[in-house]
Amino acid sequence: MAALGGGSGGQWRQGWLPVLQLIRHGSKAVTRHWKAMHFQRQKLMAVTEYLAPKPPIPEQCLPPKKQIVEEDDGYVRLLRRQVAEAFRDNRMIVVCQYNPMANEDMLLMRHYLRKHNIEVKFFLNEIVRPVLSQSKYKNLLPLFVGRNIVLVSPETKAKEMLRVLRSVPQINLLGACIDDTILSKKGVENFAKLPSLEASQGQTVGALALLPSQTCSLLQRGSVRLTALLDEYIRQLQAGAEVTPGSPGGNPAKPVPSQSSEAH
Amino acid sequence: MCWRLRRFLAPREDVTLPERTKLKFMDKVPAVPKVRREPRRLRDIRGPSREATEFTQGQYGILALGGGYLHWGHFEMIRLTIGRCMDPKTMFAVWRVPAPYKPITRKSLGHRMGGGKGPIDHYVTAVKSGRLVVEVGGHCEFGEVKHFLERVARKLPFPAAAVSRNTLQHMQEEEEEKRLNNQNPWTFERVVTGNMLGMRKYLSPYDLRFKGRYWGKFFLKHRV
Repeated sequence: MAALGGGSGGQWRQGWLPVLQLIRHGSKAVTRHWKAMHFQRQKLMAVTEYLAPKPPIPEQCLPPKKQIVEEDDGYVRLLRRQVAEAFRDNRMIVVCQYNPMANEDMLLMRHYLRKHNIEVKFFLNEIVRPVLSQSKYKNLLPLFVGRNIVLVSPETKAKEMLRVLRSVPQINLLGACIDDTILSKKGVENFAKLPSLEASQGQTVGALALLPSQTCSLLQRGSVRLTALLDEYIRQLQAGAEVTPGSPGGNPAKPVPSQSSEAH
Repeated sequence: MCWRLRRFLAPREDVTLPERTKLKFMDKVPAVPKVRREPRRLRDIRGPSREATEFTQGQYGILALGGGYLHWGHFEMIRLTIGRCMDPKTMFAVWRVPAPYKPITRKSLGHRMGGGKGPIDHYVTAVKSGRLVVEVGGHCEFGEVKHFLERVARKLPFPAAAVSRNTLQHMQEEEEEKRLNNQNPWTFERVVTGNMLGMRKYLSPYDLRFKGRYWGKFFLKHRV
Protein backbone atom coordinates (compact mmCIF):
# COMPACT_ATOMS: atom_id res chain seq x y z
CA MET A 1 0.00 0.00 0.00
CA ALA A 2 1.45 3.29 -1.04
CA ALA A 3 0.99 6.62 0.66
CA LEU A 4 1.17 10.07 -0.86
CA GLY A 5 3.85 12.29 0.61
CA GLY A 6 4.72 16.02 0.46
CA GLY A 7 2.39 18.97 0.01
CA SER A 8 2.06 21.19 -3.01
CA GLY A 9 5.37 22.46 -4.43
CA GLY A 10 7.14 20.13 -2.03
CA GLN A 11 9.88 19.23 -4.52
CA TRP A 12 11.27 22.73 -4.55
CA ARG A 13 11.82 23.00 -0.79
CA GLN A 14 14.89 21.84 1.23
CA GLY A 15 13.64 18.62 2.77
CA TRP A 16 11.35 17.10 0.22
CA LEU A 17 9.68 13.77 0.53
CA PRO A 18 9.13 11.58 -2.50
CA VAL A 19 5.67 11.47 -3.99
CA LEU A 20 5.12 7.83 -3.18
CA GLN A 21 6.38 5.99 -0.10
CA LEU A 22 5.85 2.31 0.37
CA ILE A 23 4.17 1.25 3.61
CA ARG A 24 3.29 -2.43 3.74
CA HIS A 25 2.79 -4.73 6.72
CA GLY A 26 1.86 -2.85 9.90
CA SER A 27 5.20 -3.44 11.73
CA LYS A 28 6.93 -0.30 12.92
CA ALA A 29 10.41 0.92 12.01
CA VAL A 30 12.08 -0.33 15.22
CA THR A 31 11.41 -3.99 15.97
CA ARG A 32 12.94 -6.53 18.30
CA HIS A 33 13.54 -8.94 15.42
CA TRP A 34 15.53 -8.15 12.30
CA LYS A 35 12.94 -6.46 10.12
CA ALA A 36 12.87 -7.86 6.57
CA MET A 37 14.20 -5.33 4.07
CA HIS A 38 12.48 -4.54 0.81
CA PHE A 39 14.20 -6.36 -2.05
CA GLN A 40 15.27 -3.11 -3.65
CA ARG A 41 16.84 -2.05 -0.40
CA GLN A 42 18.60 -5.37 -0.13
CA LYS A 43 20.01 -4.84 -3.61
CA LEU A 44 21.13 -1.35 -2.65
CA MET A 45 22.86 -2.65 0.47
CA ALA A 46 24.61 -5.33 -1.60
CA VAL A 47 25.78 -2.82 -4.20
CA THR A 48 27.07 -0.28 -1.69
CA GLU A 49 29.19 -2.67 0.37
CA TYR A 50 32.75 -1.84 1.41
CA LEU A 51 35.50 -2.91 -1.00
CA ALA A 52 38.95 -3.08 0.58
CA PRO A 53 41.88 -1.63 -1.42
CA LYS A 54 43.98 -4.31 -3.13
CA PRO A 55 47.75 -3.85 -3.27
CA PRO A 56 49.24 -4.01 -6.84
CA ILE A 57 51.13 -7.24 -5.97
CA PRO A 58 49.03 -9.58 -3.80
CA GLU A 59 50.54 -10.31 -0.40
CA GLN A 60 50.75 -14.03 -1.14
CA CYS A 61 53.30 -13.40 -3.90
CA LEU A 62 55.66 -11.40 -1.72
CA PRO A 63 57.95 -12.92 0.90
CA PRO A 64 56.29 -12.73 4.33
CA LYS A 65 57.26 -9.75 6.48
CA LYS A 66 58.35 -10.93 9.91
CA GLN A 67 57.22 -8.20 12.26
CA ILE A 68 59.05 -8.59 15.52
CA VAL A 69 57.06 -6.43 17.91
CA GLU A 70 59.34 -6.01 20.92
CA GLU A 71 57.46 -4.22 23.66
CA ASP A 72 59.92 -3.52 26.41
CA ASP A 73 57.77 -4.78 29.25
CA GLY A 74 58.87 -4.18 32.77
CA TYR A 75 57.84 -7.72 33.56
CA VAL A 76 60.09 -9.16 30.84
CA ARG A 77 62.96 -7.02 32.06
CA LEU A 78 62.42 -8.27 35.61
CA LEU A 79 62.46 -11.89 34.48
CA ARG A 80 65.64 -11.32 32.48
CA ARG A 81 67.28 -9.75 35.50
CA GLN A 82 66.30 -12.78 37.60
CA VAL A 83 67.82 -15.15 35.02
CA ALA A 84 71.07 -13.16 34.89
CA GLU A 85 71.25 -13.14 38.69
CA ALA A 86 70.68 -16.88 38.89
CA PHE A 87 73.49 -17.54 36.43
CA ARG A 88 75.83 -15.11 38.14
CA ASP A 89 75.38 -16.02 41.79
CA ASN A 90 75.42 -19.81 41.62
CA ARG A 91 78.36 -22.10 41.02
CA MET A 92 76.37 -25.10 39.83
CA ILE A 93 73.71 -24.73 37.16
CA VAL A 94 72.05 -27.90 35.91
CA VAL A 95 69.54 -28.03 33.04
CA CYS A 96 67.10 -30.94 33.11
CA GLN A 97 64.26 -32.06 30.91
CA TYR A 98 60.95 -31.63 32.69
CA ASN A 99 58.17 -34.10 32.05
CA PRO A 100 54.80 -33.56 33.69
CA MET A 101 54.59 -35.23 37.06
CA ALA A 102 52.32 -35.27 40.07
CA ASN A 103 52.43 -32.22 42.29
CA GLU A 104 53.26 -34.24 45.42
CA ASP A 105 56.26 -35.86 43.75
CA MET A 106 57.43 -32.46 42.55
CA LEU A 107 57.07 -31.05 46.04
CA LEU A 108 59.02 -33.94 47.58
CA MET A 109 61.80 -33.58 45.04
CA ARG A 110 62.03 -29.86 45.68
CA HIS A 111 62.14 -30.54 49.42
CA TYR A 112 65.02 -33.00 49.12
CA LEU A 113 66.94 -30.71 46.83
CA ARG A 114 66.34 -27.80 49.16
CA LYS A 115 67.95 -29.78 51.97
CA HIS A 116 71.15 -29.78 49.93
CA ASN A 117 70.70 -26.07 49.22
CA ILE A 118 69.73 -26.67 45.57
CA GLU A 119 66.89 -24.50 44.18
CA VAL A 120 64.58 -25.52 41.37
CA LYS A 121 63.83 -22.66 38.98
CA PHE A 122 61.43 -22.45 36.06
CA PHE A 123 62.45 -20.04 33.33
CA LEU A 124 60.72 -19.30 30.04
CA ASN A 125 62.83 -20.27 27.04
CA GLU A 126 62.03 -17.08 25.16
CA ILE A 127 63.48 -15.05 28.02
CA VAL A 128 66.49 -17.25 28.74
CA ARG A 129 67.69 -17.51 25.13
CA PRO A 130 68.44 -13.80 24.52
CA VAL A 131 70.04 -13.48 27.98
CA LEU A 132 72.35 -16.45 27.37
CA SER A 133 73.28 -15.50 23.81
CA GLN A 134 74.68 -12.22 25.09
CA SER A 135 76.54 -13.73 28.03
CA LYS A 136 79.42 -16.24 28.08
CA TYR A 137 77.07 -19.25 28.30
CA LYS A 138 76.44 -19.39 24.55
CA ASN A 139 77.08 -23.11 24.38
CA LEU A 140 74.17 -23.82 26.73
CA LEU A 141 71.71 -22.42 24.17
CA PRO A 142 70.84 -25.77 22.51
CA LEU A 143 69.73 -27.08 25.90
CA PHE A 144 66.96 -24.50 26.29
CA VAL A 145 64.55 -26.04 23.82
CA GLY A 146 61.30 -27.63 24.97
CA ARG A 147 60.16 -28.01 28.54
CA ASN A 148 63.04 -27.75 30.96
CA ILE A 149 63.89 -26.73 34.51
CA VAL A 150 67.06 -25.31 35.97
CA LEU A 151 68.59 -26.44 39.25
CA VAL A 152 70.91 -23.86 40.74
CA SER A 153 73.11 -24.07 43.79
CA PRO A 154 75.97 -22.08 45.32
CA GLU A 155 77.66 -25.39 46.31
CA THR A 156 78.59 -28.30 44.04
CA LYS A 157 76.89 -31.32 45.54
CA ALA A 158 76.60 -33.40 42.42
CA LYS A 159 76.39 -36.78 44.14
CA GLU A 160 73.38 -35.97 46.31
CA MET A 161 71.67 -34.22 43.43
CA LEU A 162 72.13 -37.24 41.16
CA ARG A 163 70.76 -39.49 43.87
CA VAL A 164 67.61 -37.40 44.19
CA LEU A 165 67.16 -37.14 40.43
CA ARG A 166 67.62 -40.87 39.96
CA SER A 167 64.64 -41.48 42.22
CA VAL A 168 62.48 -39.20 40.01
CA PRO A 169 62.13 -40.75 36.51
CA GLN A 170 60.42 -37.69 35.00
CA ILE A 171 63.42 -35.38 35.35
CA ASN A 172 66.31 -36.19 32.99
CA LEU A 173 69.63 -34.45 33.23
CA LEU A 174 70.63 -32.77 29.99
CA GLY A 175 73.69 -30.76 30.86
CA ALA A 176 75.34 -28.71 33.54
CA CYS A 177 77.67 -25.79 34.02
CA ILE A 178 79.72 -26.26 37.18
CA ASP A 179 82.31 -23.61 38.05
CA ASP A 180 82.20 -22.23 34.49
CA THR A 181 82.85 -25.67 33.04
CA ILE A 182 80.22 -27.16 30.76
CA LEU A 183 79.64 -30.84 31.47
CA SER A 184 77.44 -33.41 29.78
CA LYS A 185 75.48 -36.09 31.64
CA LYS A 186 78.51 -38.42 31.75
CA GLY A 187 80.69 -35.52 32.83
CA VAL A 188 78.39 -34.84 35.77
CA GLU A 189 78.46 -38.49 36.78
CA ASN A 190 82.25 -38.53 36.66
CA PHE A 191 82.31 -35.29 38.59
CA ALA A 192 80.13 -36.89 41.23
CA LYS A 193 82.49 -39.89 41.50
CA LEU A 194 85.41 -37.60 42.20
CA PRO A 195 86.42 -37.39 45.86
CA SER A 196 85.51 -34.23 47.67
CA LEU A 197 87.72 -31.16 47.51
CA GLU A 198 89.31 -31.70 50.92
CA ALA A 199 90.17 -35.34 50.18
CA SER A 200 91.69 -34.48 46.79
CA GLN A 201 93.63 -31.61 48.34
CA GLY A 202 95.00 -33.97 50.95
CA GLN A 203 95.91 -36.47 48.23
CA THR A 204 97.76 -33.84 46.20
CA VAL A 205 99.62 -32.62 49.26
CA GLY A 206 100.53 -36.17 50.14
CA ALA A 207 101.75 -36.90 46.62
CA LEU A 208 103.85 -33.74 46.56
CA ALA A 209 105.22 -34.31 50.03
CA LEU A 210 106.21 -37.90 49.16
CA LEU A 211 109.42 -36.95 47.29
CA PRO A 212 110.83 -34.54 49.89
CA SER A 213 110.11 -37.12 52.58
CA GLN A 214 112.25 -39.61 50.63
CA THR A 215 115.17 -37.19 50.20
CA CYS A 216 116.17 -37.59 53.85
CA SER A 217 116.26 -41.38 53.64
CA LEU A 218 118.09 -41.21 50.25
CA LEU A 219 120.90 -39.12 51.70
CA GLN A 220 121.26 -41.34 54.72
CA ARG A 221 121.13 -44.59 52.74
CA GLY A 222 124.91 -45.09 52.44
CA SER A 223 125.77 -44.57 56.10
CA VAL A 224 122.70 -46.56 57.22
CA ARG A 225 123.81 -49.53 55.09
CA LEU A 226 127.32 -49.28 56.46
CA THR A 227 125.97 -49.27 60.00
CA ALA A 228 123.78 -52.26 59.23
CA LEU A 229 126.67 -54.22 57.73
CA LEU A 230 128.95 -53.42 60.70
CA ASP A 231 126.22 -54.55 63.08
CA GLU A 232 125.91 -57.77 61.10
CA TYR A 233 129.65 -58.27 61.21
CA ILE A 234 129.75 -57.73 64.96
CA ARG A 235 126.92 -60.21 65.42
CA GLN A 236 128.69 -62.76 63.27
CA LEU A 237 131.91 -62.26 65.27
CA GLN A 238 130.05 -62.71 68.49
CA ALA A 239 128.30 -65.74 67.09
CA GLY A 240 131.67 -67.20 65.94
CA ALA A 241 133.25 -66.53 69.30
CA GLU A 242 130.38 -68.37 71.07
CA VAL A 243 130.45 -71.36 68.71
CA THR A 244 134.19 -72.03 69.08
CA PRO A 245 135.13 -71.00 72.57
CA GLY A 246 138.22 -73.36 72.76
CA SER A 247 139.88 -72.29 69.53
CA PRO A 248 142.45 -69.49 69.68
CA GLY A 249 140.95 -66.10 69.46
CA GLY A 250 143.39 -65.12 66.69
CA ASN A 251 142.36 -67.85 64.12
CA PRO A 252 138.86 -66.55 63.25
CA ALA A 253 140.41 -63.17 63.05
CA LYS A 254 142.40 -64.04 59.88
CA PRO A 255 139.63 -64.91 57.41
CA VAL A 256 137.51 -62.09 58.77
CA PRO A 257 139.62 -59.13 57.51
CA SER A 258 139.64 -60.77 54.02
CA GLN A 259 135.81 -60.92 54.17
CA SER A 260 135.55 -57.31 55.19
CA SER A 261 138.00 -56.30 52.43
CA GLU A 262 135.85 -58.30 49.94
CA ALA A 263 132.80 -56.56 51.25
CA HIS A 264 134.44 -53.16 50.54
CA MET B 1 51.81 -8.44 30.82
CA CYS B 2 52.53 -5.12 32.51
CA TRP B 3 49.49 -5.17 34.82
CA ARG B 4 50.97 -8.15 36.60
CA LEU B 5 53.62 -5.81 37.98
CA ARG B 6 50.92 -4.05 40.02
CA ARG B 7 52.89 -4.67 43.23
CA PHE B 8 56.12 -3.27 41.81
CA LEU B 9 54.80 -0.12 40.19
CA ALA B 10 53.88 3.19 41.75
CA PRO B 11 50.23 4.33 41.35
CA ARG B 12 49.35 6.63 38.45
CA GLU B 13 49.50 10.29 39.35
CA ASP B 14 47.11 11.80 36.82
CA VAL B 15 44.09 9.89 38.22
CA THR B 16 42.17 11.11 41.29
CA LEU B 17 39.67 8.78 42.88
CA PRO B 18 36.28 10.30 43.75
CA GLU B 19 34.76 9.89 47.22
CA ARG B 20 32.31 7.11 46.36
CA THR B 21 34.20 4.69 44.17
CA LYS B 22 31.45 2.08 43.79
CA LEU B 23 28.48 2.45 41.43
CA LYS B 24 25.50 4.37 42.79
CA PHE B 25 22.31 2.44 43.48
CA MET B 26 19.68 3.14 40.79
CA ASP B 27 16.00 3.33 41.74
CA LYS B 28 13.44 1.11 40.10
CA VAL B 29 10.95 3.96 39.95
CA PRO B 30 11.89 7.66 39.77
CA ALA B 31 11.30 9.80 42.86
CA VAL B 32 8.28 11.44 41.21
CA PRO B 33 6.52 8.57 39.43
CA LYS B 34 4.77 9.51 36.22
CA VAL B 35 1.01 9.72 36.25
CA ARG B 36 0.43 10.24 32.57
CA ARG B 37 1.06 7.17 30.43
CA GLU B 38 3.49 7.98 27.60
CA PRO B 39 3.47 6.80 23.99
CA ARG B 40 6.00 4.19 23.00
CA ARG B 41 8.38 6.52 21.08
CA LEU B 42 10.74 3.85 19.79
CA ARG B 43 12.85 6.50 18.08
CA ASP B 44 14.79 6.84 21.35
CA ILE B 45 16.41 3.50 20.41
CA ARG B 46 16.94 4.16 16.73
CA GLY B 47 20.10 5.59 15.24
CA PRO B 48 23.40 6.81 16.67
CA SER B 49 23.66 8.34 20.14
CA ARG B 50 24.28 12.05 20.57
CA GLU B 51 25.16 12.06 24.28
CA ALA B 52 27.76 10.17 26.36
CA THR B 53 29.78 9.05 23.33
CA GLU B 54 33.16 10.18 24.76
CA PHE B 55 35.01 9.40 27.99
CA THR B 56 34.85 11.96 30.81
CA GLN B 57 36.20 10.67 34.12
CA GLY B 58 37.33 7.10 33.66
CA GLN B 59 39.71 5.39 31.24
CA TYR B 60 37.76 2.19 30.44
CA GLY B 61 34.08 1.58 29.81
CA ILE B 62 31.34 -0.42 28.13
CA LEU B 63 30.24 0.85 24.73
CA ALA B 64 26.77 0.00 23.41
CA LEU B 65 26.89 -1.27 19.83
CA GLY B 66 23.13 -1.40 19.37
CA GLY B 67 20.00 0.22 20.73
CA GLY B 68 17.91 -1.13 23.60
CA TYR B 69 16.21 -0.54 26.93
CA LEU B 70 17.92 -1.11 30.28
CA HIS B 71 15.63 -1.93 33.18
CA TRP B 72 16.31 -2.19 36.88
CA GLY B 73 17.44 -5.83 36.68
CA HIS B 74 20.22 -4.86 34.27
CA PHE B 75 21.29 -2.00 36.50
CA GLU B 76 21.53 -4.29 39.51
CA MET B 77 23.49 -6.86 37.55
CA ILE B 78 26.01 -4.25 36.38
CA ARG B 79 26.31 -2.67 39.82
CA LEU B 80 26.85 -5.95 41.65
CA THR B 81 29.21 -7.53 39.10
CA ILE B 82 31.42 -4.47 38.86
CA GLY B 83 31.26 -3.93 42.62
CA ARG B 84 32.36 -7.52 43.17
CA CYS B 85 35.22 -7.55 40.66
CA MET B 86 36.83 -4.16 41.21
CA ASP B 87 39.05 -2.97 44.05
CA PRO B 88 37.33 0.05 45.67
CA LYS B 89 40.62 1.42 46.99
CA THR B 90 42.37 1.68 43.63
CA MET B 91 39.53 1.81 41.08
CA PHE B 92 36.30 3.73 40.67
CA ALA B 93 33.21 3.30 38.48
CA VAL B 94 30.69 5.87 37.25
CA TRP B 95 27.28 5.57 35.52
CA ARG B 96 26.89 7.20 32.11
CA VAL B 97 23.19 6.42 31.75
CA PRO B 98 20.39 7.96 33.81
CA ALA B 99 18.16 5.96 36.15
CA PRO B 100 15.04 4.46 34.54
CA TYR B 101 12.70 7.27 33.58
CA LYS B 102 10.57 5.97 30.72
CA PRO B 103 7.36 4.25 31.83
CA ILE B 104 6.45 1.01 30.06
CA THR B 105 2.84 -0.13 30.24
CA ARG B 106 1.68 -3.72 30.22
CA LYS B 107 -1.81 -5.06 29.92
CA SER B 108 -2.72 -7.86 32.31
CA LEU B 109 -2.34 -11.34 30.90
CA GLY B 110 -5.13 -13.13 29.17
CA HIS B 111 -7.28 -10.18 28.16
CA ARG B 112 -8.51 -9.38 24.70
CA MET B 113 -7.43 -6.35 22.76
CA GLY B 114 -9.12 -3.09 23.62
CA GLY B 115 -10.17 -1.47 26.85
CA GLY B 116 -7.63 1.33 26.69
CA LYS B 117 -3.91 1.51 27.44
CA GLY B 118 -2.61 -0.70 30.23
CA PRO B 119 -1.21 0.63 33.52
CA ILE B 120 2.47 1.45 34.03
CA ASP B 121 4.41 -1.74 34.71
CA HIS B 122 8.01 -0.65 35.06
CA TYR B 123 10.49 2.01 34.01
CA VAL B 124 13.41 1.72 31.58
CA THR B 125 16.30 3.79 30.21
CA ALA B 126 16.72 4.10 26.48
CA VAL B 127 20.24 3.53 25.12
CA LYS B 128 21.26 4.25 21.53
CA SER B 129 24.28 2.70 19.75
CA GLY B 130 27.59 4.39 20.41
CA ARG B 131 26.76 5.36 23.97
CA LEU B 132 28.88 4.54 27.01
CA VAL B 133 26.98 2.74 29.74
CA VAL B 134 29.55 2.61 32.57
CA GLU B 135 32.98 4.12 32.98
CA VAL B 136 35.73 2.60 35.11
CA GLY B 137 38.99 4.27 36.06
CA GLY B 138 41.74 4.39 38.64
CA HIS B 139 45.19 2.90 39.16
CA CYS B 140 44.59 -0.07 36.91
CA GLU B 141 45.36 -1.35 33.43
CA PHE B 142 42.96 -2.40 30.71
CA GLY B 143 44.07 -6.00 31.04
CA GLU B 144 42.76 -6.18 34.62
CA VAL B 145 39.47 -4.48 33.90
CA LYS B 146 38.70 -6.01 30.52
CA HIS B 147 37.57 -9.42 31.62
CA PHE B 148 34.81 -8.40 33.99
CA LEU B 149 33.65 -5.57 31.71
CA GLU B 150 33.31 -8.08 28.90
CA ARG B 151 31.31 -10.38 31.12
CA VAL B 152 28.91 -7.54 31.88
CA ALA B 153 28.78 -6.49 28.22
CA ARG B 154 27.68 -9.98 27.22
CA LYS B 155 24.69 -9.87 29.55
CA LEU B 156 23.27 -6.60 28.28
CA PRO B 157 20.16 -6.70 26.03
CA PHE B 158 22.03 -5.06 23.14
CA PRO B 159 25.47 -5.93 21.72
CA ALA B 160 28.18 -4.18 23.71
CA ALA B 161 31.95 -4.22 24.09
CA ALA B 162 34.54 -3.29 26.68
CA VAL B 163 36.63 -0.33 25.47
CA SER B 164 39.39 1.91 26.70
CA ARG B 165 40.21 5.42 25.53
CA ASN B 166 42.83 4.06 23.16
CA THR B 167 40.65 1.31 21.71
CA LEU B 168 37.75 3.69 21.16
CA GLN B 169 39.96 6.15 19.35
CA HIS B 170 41.43 3.28 17.35
CA MET B 171 37.92 2.15 16.34
CA GLN B 172 36.96 5.64 15.23
CA GLU B 173 40.17 6.03 13.24
CA GLU B 174 39.65 2.67 11.58
CA GLU B 175 36.12 3.64 10.57
CA GLU B 176 37.37 6.89 9.10
CA GLU B 177 40.12 5.07 7.21
CA LYS B 178 37.62 2.56 5.83
CA ARG B 179 35.38 5.37 4.68
CA LEU B 180 38.27 7.07 2.89
CA ASN B 181 39.88 4.06 1.20
CA ASN B 182 36.63 2.44 0.07
CA GLN B 183 37.18 1.28 -3.52
CA ASN B 184 33.47 1.07 -4.24
CA PRO B 185 32.39 4.24 -6.12
CA TRP B 186 28.76 3.67 -5.12
CA THR B 187 28.13 4.50 -1.48
CA PHE B 188 24.78 4.42 0.28
CA GLU B 189 25.11 8.08 1.15
CA ARG B 190 25.67 9.07 -2.45
CA VAL B 191 22.71 7.05 -3.69
CA VAL B 192 20.36 8.38 -1.05
CA THR B 193 21.31 12.04 -1.26
CA GLY B 194 21.02 11.94 -5.04
CA ASN B 195 17.93 9.72 -5.01
CA MET B 196 19.50 7.57 -7.68
CA LEU B 197 17.06 5.21 -9.40
CA GLY B 198 14.31 6.55 -7.18
CA MET B 199 15.69 4.58 -4.23
CA ARG B 200 14.11 6.89 -1.72
CA LYS B 201 10.78 5.28 -2.51
CA TYR B 202 12.04 2.22 -0.63
CA LEU B 203 14.04 4.04 2.03
CA SER B 204 13.06 6.13 5.00
CA PRO B 205 13.91 9.84 5.44
CA TYR B 206 15.99 8.71 8.41
CA ASP B 207 18.30 6.87 6.05
CA LEU B 208 19.65 10.24 4.96
CA ARG B 209 21.04 10.58 8.46
CA PHE B 210 21.90 6.94 9.14
CA LYS B 211 23.55 6.27 5.75
CA GLY B 212 22.89 2.57 5.74
CA ARG B 213 24.70 1.87 9.03
CA TYR B 214 21.57 1.58 11.19
CA TRP B 215 18.52 -0.60 10.62
CA GLY B 216 15.90 -0.42 13.33
CA LYS B 217 17.72 -0.74 16.61
CA PHE B 218 20.66 -2.61 15.04
CA PHE B 219 24.03 -1.08 14.25
CA LEU B 220 25.69 -2.59 11.19
CA LYS B 221 29.34 -2.48 12.08
CA HIS B 222 30.71 -3.99 8.87
CA ARG B 223 29.16 -1.34 6.66
CA VAL B 224 31.13 1.74 5.69
